[in-house]
Amino acid sequence: MWKEIRDREAGKIRPKSFSSRIKFNRISNLQLTNYKDIVSSHRGSINSLQVDLTEGRYLLSGASDASAAIYDIQRATNYEGNGLIAKHKSIVSVDKQHEKGHKYAISSAIWYPVDTGLFITGSYDHNIKVWDTNTTKVVMNFKMPGKVYRTAMSTLATSHMLIAAGTEDVQVRLCDIASGAFAHTLSGHRDGVMTVEWSTSSEWVLITGGCDGAIRFWDIRRAGCFLVLDQSQSQLGRRPPVLDHSAANKVSVSKPLSTGQSSLVKSRAPQKKYTNGHGIKQSTIGRMPAKGSARQRLHPGMLSIQDRATAHYGAVTGLKVTEDGMYLLSAGSDSRIKLWDLESGYNTLVNFEKARLQTSKAIQLAISQDSAHVFVPCMTVVKFTGSGTIHRRQ
Amino acid sequence: MSIWNYVVSAHKPTNVTHSCVGNFTNPQELNLIIAVRHRIFFLLQRNDTNSVSFNGILRHPSLLQGLNKNKYKAMGDVSDCIGRPTDNGQIGIIDPDCRLIGLHLYDGLFKVIPFDNKGQLKQAFNIRLEELQVLDIKFLHGCSKPTIVVLYQDNKDARHVKTYEVALKEKDFVVGPWSQNNLDDGADLLIPVPPPLCGVLIIGEETIVYCNANAFKAIPIRPSITKAYGRVDADGSRYLLGDNAGLLHLLVITHEKEKVAGLKIELLGETSIASTISYLDNAFVYIGSSYGDSQLIKLNLQPDAKGSFVEVLERYVNLGPINDFCVVDLERQGQGHVVTCSGANKDGSLCIVRNGIGINEQASVELQGINGMWSLRSSTDDPFDTFLVVSFTSGTRISAMNLKDVLEETEIEGFNSQVQTLFCHDAVSNQLVQVTSSSVRLVSSTSRELRHEWNAPSGYSVNVATANATQVLLATGVGHLVYLEIGDGKLTQVKHAQLEYDISCLDINPIGENSNYSQLAAVGMWTDISVRIFLLPDLNLITKEQLGGDIIPRSVLLCSFEGISYLMCALGDGHLLNFQLNLSNGELTDRKKVSLGTQPITLHTFSTKNTTYVFAASDRPTVIYSSNKKLLYGNVILKEVIHMCPFNPAAFPDSFAIAKEGELTIGSIDDTQKLHIRSIPLGEQARCICHQEQSWTFAICSVKNQSSTDESEMHFIRLLDDQTFEFISTYRLDTFEYGCSILSCSFSDDLNVYYCVGTAYVLPEENEPTRGRILVFVVEDGKLQLIAQKETMGAVYSLNAFNGKLLAAINQKIELYKWTLREDGTRELQFECGHRGHILALYVKTRGDFIVVGDLMKSISLLIYEHEEGAIEELARDHNANWMSAVEILDDDIYLGAENNFNLLTVRKNSEGATDEERGRLEVVGEYHLGEFVNRFCHGSLVMRLPDSDVGQIPTIIFGTVNGVIGVIASLPNEQYAFLEKLQSNLRKVIKGVGGLSHEQWRSFNNEKKTAEAKNFLDGDLIESFLDLSRGKMEDISKAMGVSVEELSKRVEELTRLH
Repeated sequence: MWKEIRDREAGKIRPKSFSSRIKFNRISNLQLTNYKDIVSSHRGSINSLQVDLTEGRYLLSGASDASAAIYDIQRATNYEGNGLIAKHKSIVSVDKQHEKGHKYAISSAIWYPVDTGLFITGSYDHNIKVWDTNTTKVVMNFKMPGKVYRTAMSTLATSHMLIAAGTEDVQVRLCDIASGAFAHTLSGHRDGVMTVEWSTSSEWVLITGGCDGAIRFWDIRRAGCFLVLDQSQSQLGRRPPVLDHSAANKVSVSKPLSTGQSSLVKSRAPQKKYTNGHGIKQSTIGRMPAKGSARQRLHPGMLSIQDRATAHYGAVTGLKVTEDGMYLLSAGSDSRIKLWDLESGYNTLVNFEKARLQTSKAIQLAISQDSAHVFVPCMTVVKFTGSGTIHRRQ
Repeated sequence: MSIWNYVVSAHKPTNVTHSCVGNFTNPQELNLIIAVRHRIFFLLQRNDTNSVSFNGILRHPSLLQGLNKNKYKAMGDVSDCIGRPTDNGQIGIIDPDCRLIGLHLYDGLFKVIPFDNKGQLKQAFNIRLEELQVLDIKFLHGCSKPTIVVLYQDNKDARHVKTYEVALKEKDFVVGPWSQNNLDDGADLLIPVPPPLCGVLIIGEETIVYCNANAFKAIPIRPSITKAYGRVDADGSRYLLGDNAGLLHLLVITHEKEKVAGLKIELLGETSIASTISYLDNAFVYIGSSYGDSQLIKLNLQPDAKGSFVEVLERYVNLGPINDFCVVDLERQGQGHVVTCSGANKDGSLCIVRNGIGINEQASVELQGINGMWSLRSSTDDPFDTFLVVSFTSGTRISAMNLKDVLEETEIEGFNSQVQTLFCHDAVSNQLVQVTSSSVRLVSSTSRELRHEWNAPSGYSVNVATANATQVLLATGVGHLVYLEIGDGKLTQVKHAQLEYDISCLDINPIGENSNYSQLAAVGMWTDISVRIFLLPDLNLITKEQLGGDIIPRSVLLCSFEGISYLMCALGDGHLLNFQLNLSNGELTDRKKVSLGTQPITLHTFSTKNTTYVFAASDRPTVIYSSNKKLLYGNVILKEVIHMCPFNPAAFPDSFAIAKEGELTIGSIDDTQKLHIRSIPLGEQARCICHQEQSWTFAICSVKNQSSTDESEMHFIRLLDDQTFEFISTYRLDTFEYGCSILSCSFSDDLNVYYCVGTAYVLPEENEPTRGRILVFVVEDGKLQLIAQKETMGAVYSLNAFNGKLLAAINQKIELYKWTLREDGTRELQFECGHRGHILALYVKTRGDFIVVGDLMKSISLLIYEHEEGAIEELARDHNANWMSAVEILDDDIYLGAENNFNLLTVRKNSEGATDEERGRLEVVGEYHLGEFVNRFCHGSLVMRLPDSDVGQIPTIIFGTVNGVIGVIASLPNEQYAFLEKLQSNLRKVIKGVGGLSHEQWRSFNNEKKTAEAKNFLDGDLIESFLDLSRGKMEDISKAMGVSVEELSKRVEELTRLH
């Protein structure tokens, strides 16, 4: 440490590598602190945790006793042990006693990404509620068709305020906070949707993981999913011959599909106009007819064989995109963690230490800022593994 | 100080990172281009420098290496919104055939900017690169399609090389012609070899490999880390390699046409630790260095006595990296000098940086009551001066250089030495002219006899007079102006004019084509406070300029700098007015007014080394000179000067006679420059420094590398004399013990002044030091005596004197030690109280009972020492995650910090907050992107503090950075800040950065988490560039501001006086 500080001072190492080295070392040597204690107000298992994105100050938790609480993690409420141990008690708490509170377990509690004025909870009581933090009143309620497993909002979004919700139902619903209505539904999964995650590179791209073992990518401006991850596709690093290449392009995240590419699939040709028309007329997107869903399950240009692909054996229980937007981590009820290359959609076959993962509930994964470590809750312990094999430093 | 701060760099970065050679300005002229972080300098082969300052950070400096093939392209911003910046540094390369630019900015992405046929840049795109730990990328020469070669490290830390062809149409890579696995573990550098070989050299720590599709040649080398290379021949058969110990090697590829026979390496000699090498021509090589002085070297064919082929021709002083510095006033003049710990490893040095112009005294005599001095030659053709005429109220004394080069009193018989001399000058035809109040005497310089005399009309006496080689102009009472011309042995009164008021000063310094005859005469007037220009010989008034105010002009001077003629007019209150003068019609334009002091100024012109200077003698002597057609004012490091004259005797050429109160000094003057740097090489790296006034010493913590490759280091505490900078005492630290901090302080109940040194035991197996020491030394008879020591539980990152006690920052704790007397009369440090709760308390500053801590990663926090309880408690903190690199206390409430992403921030204590919560937060009040990594802040000023100038009231802080910048942060009053902010926003519209990078964006606070527009900081470098603008642009800005150009210039010039 001392040598690094000295080298930074003399300009021998770049300040950026200095900080990333120290972060890496500190994360590698993570231990429970003796000086900070968050006093949980929950009487059940905690299903969801999030620190707010604006100030990095307020921790929101949602628990299986249908309660949600907020803690100030910067400023302690009181001190114990000669002022050495900072105790952080909840500053806001809502539970069953609240007149509009959830009845059953809260599976997901997330902050509104723009400020700390709102937070969103999703519960097994089939409801998603939007709360005003200051008054602890429910300002919006979305009735879902089944248990809510996971909710997510895009941190990049500037033009929409959609909550993506994964429920027992096969459809992923997008709840619009601006209007208080469902903006649209995404059909494709063949079983309930355990986990939803927005892309960190495009505000329109949503990734969902279902109990059917599939991980699907959606561009919410267009109908249908445009990519299904396939665990057997793992030839990353082999540059495809130039001819094959245009086909591979079709599944790339970064490139919006051009109309020309869809003509490869002849049977879809008549539908092309129809789907594209919808894509342009954004205003009608919220009123998408339900009956159309069967036909739109397949994205133009995607082969039906790809639609059957699975990412995990069993349910996909957790998803997390790395901060640089280049990789996706998934956890499944097969107790495996997989790392996917987002551009190509290939399974990178990184071998993570095997751990028994919870299968009945969605799990929350966390990735360190430099994407070198992933934190995975494994039954009674939180394991952290270097996703190290992707980015490792001395 | 205040929250409104003005940041300006006093010493620009000197840390050279890249260089290249090419013919840029002209096909016939060879140019060397060097890049110093975000600035590029074009150096022509004749040493004039032309600097192009980049408004934005130059993200891809190595682009330069390809530039000599192409015409220069200014780059725009190519940052992406996603992706993780690379750890090993950004790489930018240009295809040798100019088909595309390749950039590796983010891990796993290779950005391609193609050129079209016309050489214009087209839309850029990213290509996915599987290799994540890229060490180097280069384009291969001689490939039909652009091909890159990538040096990378895999998961098992093995290093490989791979090639890819860039398929522009498909926007992807195609696997290239060859690859090579399992190279040297230290392989770090690729050198593409140009045609006909078209391969690549892979430079490792122990081997050098030449590689291409069908050849693989390797040679072992002495273990070293190669940092830079320079190609000698256009065909790429010889390369210069510079390693981290500063050794220069020559690598030769022996080949027959395209077939490589082998590699040879030869040690040439030692240079500064090179970061870039450019082979200029004819065995001249430029070595650019980040850790030491950059050099121009010549490679000789034959080794010298020490076996070195390297001959250092020139050194270019580099202050970077400034590890630490202190501000001292060595000459007790009220002007700060900065002493920096500069350089790294073997190139470490101490640099004394001071502002102003130094005088090297050669002789001085005590003489009271001097009121005039002139130097005279013994014959018109003599290039050197012989006589020095010194005038007193009661007479005139003449001295001359005798044959032994000693100045002794003499006499010129023709001169009247019984009365005060008003003016003296050499005249044509071996004559001298002396003006006294009653007459003008023309004297032969050879026979020293009076040849002719012109007497003032009876009843009148001469008040002021001036002369040149052929003319005399004098004024007698009530406005009579008399013009005489000097002939051979004859003075002729040519013209007489009667003016309405008395004349206060005159000048006929010839600035036209004829150096002996002036067409113009400048006259300063009493009563109407004007300056007038007359045409000679007819004394026709052509210009009359009212000066305004009621202070009379005391001295006028016609002079010319860089081909521009000026009229300077010094007032009785220390102000100086200058005008541009049109020689043909006497028109005065571009009026500027500056304040140089408080006492009347007399102006003298002199020239050395073919440059003209003006010396303004007053209570604050100043040398006025011109650079880039801008007048600059350099204060001379001297107290009050009454008179000066150039005195150029053969024995001390280019000297000056300077009359001070009661003293006459003869000396020479330093090169006119703003900052003077004196570098004292140490041969080891100094890490921290402090000065002790009482013992006239400096103490430094330094590191000496045993040898270049060996990791072992020796650490010392060294004591230096503050005048000679010689080591006078050394204390060697234990093995593995590093000196971390040093302080000179005294304790309560003890009159001695001590040096306290904080150390750390850095053991190879420990991640963080767990043991350290605080050593207390006293200086006795020029020796360091260890008085006391205290073991600590970690590295002592910082030491501060605090309420007569010692405050130490030790790992995550702040600890206070008191100095107690033991029973046996010895002293020891005793722990009093502490505070924890930091990640690493790296930087600590104190003021009163307040302690400001800059944490490794938790920004700034404010602690207070409670006297009653004897405890340190946290008052407030900034909750942002800033990785600090330096902190300073501006005033009771405002604290300044510099952080890891080259930003500056100020935070304010919120003592009026309504709740505990509000009081417990430090509010961020200022944010700014400096673009420099600051290692240290220090209160102080580089310029003389003058009691009644505006600038003197502005408190300043000096900072030093890794790139060798010394900067100044000045706290401005709100009104001035608002004015300058407006000026800055107007300047942004006028001054465009190269490549169109926005200044606003560049100065925005920017870290991993956020980007915020700069607030409460102003960019002084931009504002001061106002003075370099053309008149037209100045007028545009003046119009937009609603303030006159003169006023703007005045206010900006005032600011330039801050540094």
